[in-house]
Amino acid sequence: MLNIKPIVSSLLRSKSGPILLLMQIILSVAIVANASFIINERLTMMQRDSGIAEQEILTFAIYNFDPSIDATLQNKVDQRILRSLPNVKAAASTNMLPLSGSGWSTTLNLGPDPETAKSTPQVAMYMGTEHTLETFGVTLVEGRNFYADEITDDVNSPNILLLITKALADEVWPNESAVGKTLWAGRDVQVTVIGVVDKMQGAWVDSSDLEYSIIQNVDYSGNSYMVRAEPKHHEALQQQILDALMTENPNRVIDNFQSIAVVKENSYRDHELMVTVLSMMVVLLLLITSLGLTGMVMFNIQRRTKQIGTRRALGATKGDILSLFLTENYIICIVGGLIGGVLAVLLGQQLMQHYDLPQLNLIYPVLTVVGMLLVTTVAVILPARKAANISPAMATRSV
Amino acid sequence: MLTMKNINKVFKTDLVETHALRDFNLSVQEGEFVAVTGPSGSGKTTFLNIAGLLEGFTHGDYFLDGVNISNLNDNKAAAIRNEKIGFIFQGFNLIPDLNLAENVEVPLRYRGFSAKERQRRVKEALEKVGLGARMKHLPSQLSGGQQQRVAIARALAGEPRFLLADEPTGNLDSLMARQVMELLEAINKAGTTIIMVTHDPELARRAQRNIQIVDGQVCDFTLYQGGQNHQVDTMEQAAS
Amino acid sequence: MFLYYVDLAWRSIKKTPILSLLMVLAISVGIGITITTLNVYNMMAFNPAGERAEQLNTVQLWSQGPDSWADYHSQVTYQDVMNLRKGKVANEQAAMFRSGMAVQTDDPQILPSLNGVRVTDSGFFNLFEVPFIYGNSWDKSVDEQAAFQAVIGKKLNQKLFGGENSVGKTIYLNRKPYQVVGVIDDWHPQPKYYDPTSGAFSKAEQIYIPFSLTASEEFSVWGNMSGWKYERLDDYQDRLGSEKVWIQYWVDLPTAEDRQSYKRYLSQYVEQQKELGRFTDGKSPEESAQLSNVDAWLERNHVVPEDNKILLGLSVLFLSVCLVNILGLMLTKFLKRAPEVGVRRAIGASRSQIFSQYMVEVGVIGLFGGLLGLAWAWGALYGLSARFGVAEGLTHLSLSMWVITPAIAVGTAMLAGLYPAWVVCRTKPSVYLKSQ
Repeated sequence: MLNIKPIVSSLLRSKSGPILLLMQIILSVAIVANASFIINERLTMMQRDSGIAEQEILTFAIYNFDPSIDATLQNKVDQRILRSLPNVKAAASTNMLPLSGSGWSTTLNLGPDPETAKSTPQVAMYMGTEHTLETFGVTLVEGRNFYADEITDDVNSPNILLLITKALADEVWPNESAVGKTLWAGRDVQVTVIGVVDKMQGAWVDSSDLEYSIIQNVDYSGNSYMVRAEPKHHEALQQQILDALMTENPNRVIDNFQSIAVVKENSYRDHELMVTVLSMMVVLLLLITSLGLTGMVMFNIQRRTKQIGTRRALGATKGDILSLFLTENYIICIVGGLIGGVLAVLLGQQLMQHYDLPQLNLIYPVLTVVGMLLVTTVAVILPARKAANISPAMATRSV
Repeated sequence: MLTMKNINKVFKTDLVETHALRDFNLSVQEGEFVAVTGPSGSGKTTFLNIAGLLEGFTHGDYFLDGVNISNLNDNKAAAIRNEKIGFIFQGFNLIPDLNLAENVEVPLRYRGFSAKERQRRVKEALEKVGLGARMKHLPSQLSGGQQQRVAIARALAGEPRFLLADEPTGNLDSLMARQVMELLEAINKAGTTIIMVTHDPELARRAQRNIQIVDGQVCDFTLYQGGQNHQVDTMEQAAS
Repeated sequence: MFLYYVDLAWRSIKKTPILSLLMVLAISVGIGITITTLNVYNMMAFNPAGERAEQLNTVQLWSQGPDSWADYHSQVTYQDVMNLRKGKVANEQAAMFRSGMAVQTDDPQILPSLNGVRVTDSGFFNLFEVPFIYGNSWDKSVDEQAAFQAVIGKKLNQKLFGGENSVGKTIYLNRKPYQVVGVIDDWHPQPKYYDPTSGAFSKAEQIYIPFSLTASEEFSVWGNMSGWKYERLDDYQDRLGSEKVWIQYWVDLPTAEDRQSYKRYLSQYVEQQKELGRFTDGKSPEESAQLSNVDAWLERNHVVPEDNKILLGLSVLFLSVCLVNILGLMLTKFLKRAPEVGVRRAIGASRSQIFSQYMVEVGVIGLFGGLLGLAWAWGALYGLSARFGVAEGLTHLSLSMWVITPAIAVGTAMLAGLYPAWVVCRTKPSVYLKSQ
């Protein structure tokens, strides 16, 4: 009964039905393989560890609009107030928020002459104080933190010290310690690395340089602040911060309270959207393909009722009839899967060529074909069970 | 009215050539009732399909009303079927989803008649076959004989030049068969030419003229004057 | 005849409700996905400048030194903008950047609020055809002789002045008094083409103030500022004199000749600057400046993200799967009705009449699929905007979709129906007339 040759030749003779099914499977495999590849790529991207205590950091913006405010002084007073609030583990000013999609970035040179020296990759440039490491919740793996008396208010200070991420250290100085090394920003500006942190992502989640970040010892009196506290305290803390800071100086706007977790979610929103839409596509595609399969099998059964009856009369068991239909559709599915797999790779190449996508991993077409086989089994067995129940008496009835 | 000259129909497969009709000649006069008989496989159906313009033929000439209608394109053939020919089938071939009036209306739709004209003709045709009161019924609600009468009404509604009937009583019991046959005879008396294919000698005998097809050729024909003809009987036996 | 076919189609659909439903579902799902992505794509790819898309141009200059940026930057330096503005070669021009300030009025009841502010020239309002409700732009002379004047939006006017004509009244930006000279209507071009660098689908600013105030008031920049080399900036004046790029510069050049002559003007300008020791990359003056019309500008700023192009492509493929799917279902369905076709053919229907009948049936199914697909798309867009807070402008189902969707659906269905209808109209009638 599982003789494949007669099944193949009968498939080849009945033209359009199997060909349509084949085309459908080919296209489905091509789409599903690429879509699930992209889905997985995005999910992996979203699951990356930022190294930062995302949940615990509450951020907000202060906008001082009174021209008479001494911004430098006000910044120091504000931070002191923040640290004195209940449940606050740490607080620091910053020039940019991690994972937010906006901020400062730069490249530094390994030598004084910008024309000849090698340069670092693009790095996210945080400015902070001795409190910044604790506020971020990142771990120092080498060297030391800033001392309080090393913190400057001047972005252009000649005594800039750096804390850098391990990823950056390994990239720039692969087999040696980064601590104590010097980098140049322009011809005359030297900066010194004093410590290496385990992991601390920058601001641009789509950048390949996301893992390269530095912190400079500058207490930046811009407008962003970070307060670290247990998430459950955030709501109460928000009001406490507002009250305390507005009492200190009312000529300002304080807003944009959000945790880094929320900031991160916003940054990954487009990817999440992509994942959602593509997942919808994959599910619907499988559904449609299986419905098409079921419909086709039902049609075949109707058309071949008499033939099936004859087979039964000639001694075929119900199982034989079932496996006849399964074999028939498995053949279509495997042939479609093979062609579809090739098409998937071609489509993947097109996508890679025109868009910023990595090369399609071959495991995806393979998994998709396996998935298709499963779908085929379900979609065929349901109607084919009906076929198996056709009575042998059908052979003698003329319909 | 209908003349076929040296019609040949050859079916070719990779291995064999089959002559379904060979040098087939036939002439039917206006108002005749012709019965076509013959053993199965003799070419009766091929003749019917060619006469009804459902199939083309390999060579020969076919004149209808003096016009050569050999090798017409599909649209012209469809128009002639629609206007000049009425079909009656053994299996009635009513469209199951349409009610009686709508079934009868089908050829009129393709003819492009106005709604009013269609309505008039449908009513007239159904009344002629005695089913004027059942216009809204579906075919499945009728007996076989009634269904065949609807099919006859459908064939008549377009006022064709001749009716082609293929075993019109083959699926009916004898009572219904007689009613249908009487209806056909009445239609013939009213002036419509009828060509009926049958293998029932009883029915054939009721026609004015019998034609027998054997091996794709007209074997013999006799004009009946209402009586019986023994010669045809013997031929019938010889063939079977 | 058409209505007869529609009637037949409807009977046929009713007769096989499940199969018909499957077909309608298959089309609707394909259409739903396609329209969802197409809608977002269309909204993103829309050119709001309309017929002015050619004549509105941004200026890009290759002011970077050797071995730095490999492409033009969208924005230009302050010094270049100030020089080009003096030339007045273009029909109309506007320099601009985004800033933000705290807004107050004389009414102490109104709490200070932080607002996005566009710092620009009077030409802005003409360039982008901004509709005014009250007053007008500040005078052209203000573009040179700075004055504390402002144009505000309808919404802010409602909030600050209860919607009345506020021309002549005073608002305070970072505590400095500005006189309101005009109020503009709700005006939010999507994409925000005049400056997509700070959110291509965000709303237009509610406050506009003269660019000529920049040097004295030292407005903070709420946008992208980039430099191709290290420059020490100790104060705002350093920034104004630096090679940092942070300003968008638009010119109105109605004819092709205007654009040609403006390009010559830019080349001359670059040549001058080269003599002053800038534009050191060794490119010829002609190659060191370019104009981008609105299309090129939107493309340059990646207003349509790659993901959307990928999604659109995949959904078209998806639709083609649905097409093949319904093709199979229709073939199944039509072939089942071959005997009826045989009868119709025998009693005088031509092939083209049968073909038309089935194409109409397919079209009707497509229409249902399209309508249902429109509902899916609407639901999907609604769900996506609720879940992901996608910009409102992108998830609004555009009016044209009400026409495009059924058209695509019917078109797809008819394409799928072509083969089955052809097969069924070619069937030999005689085969089906014998009762078997």
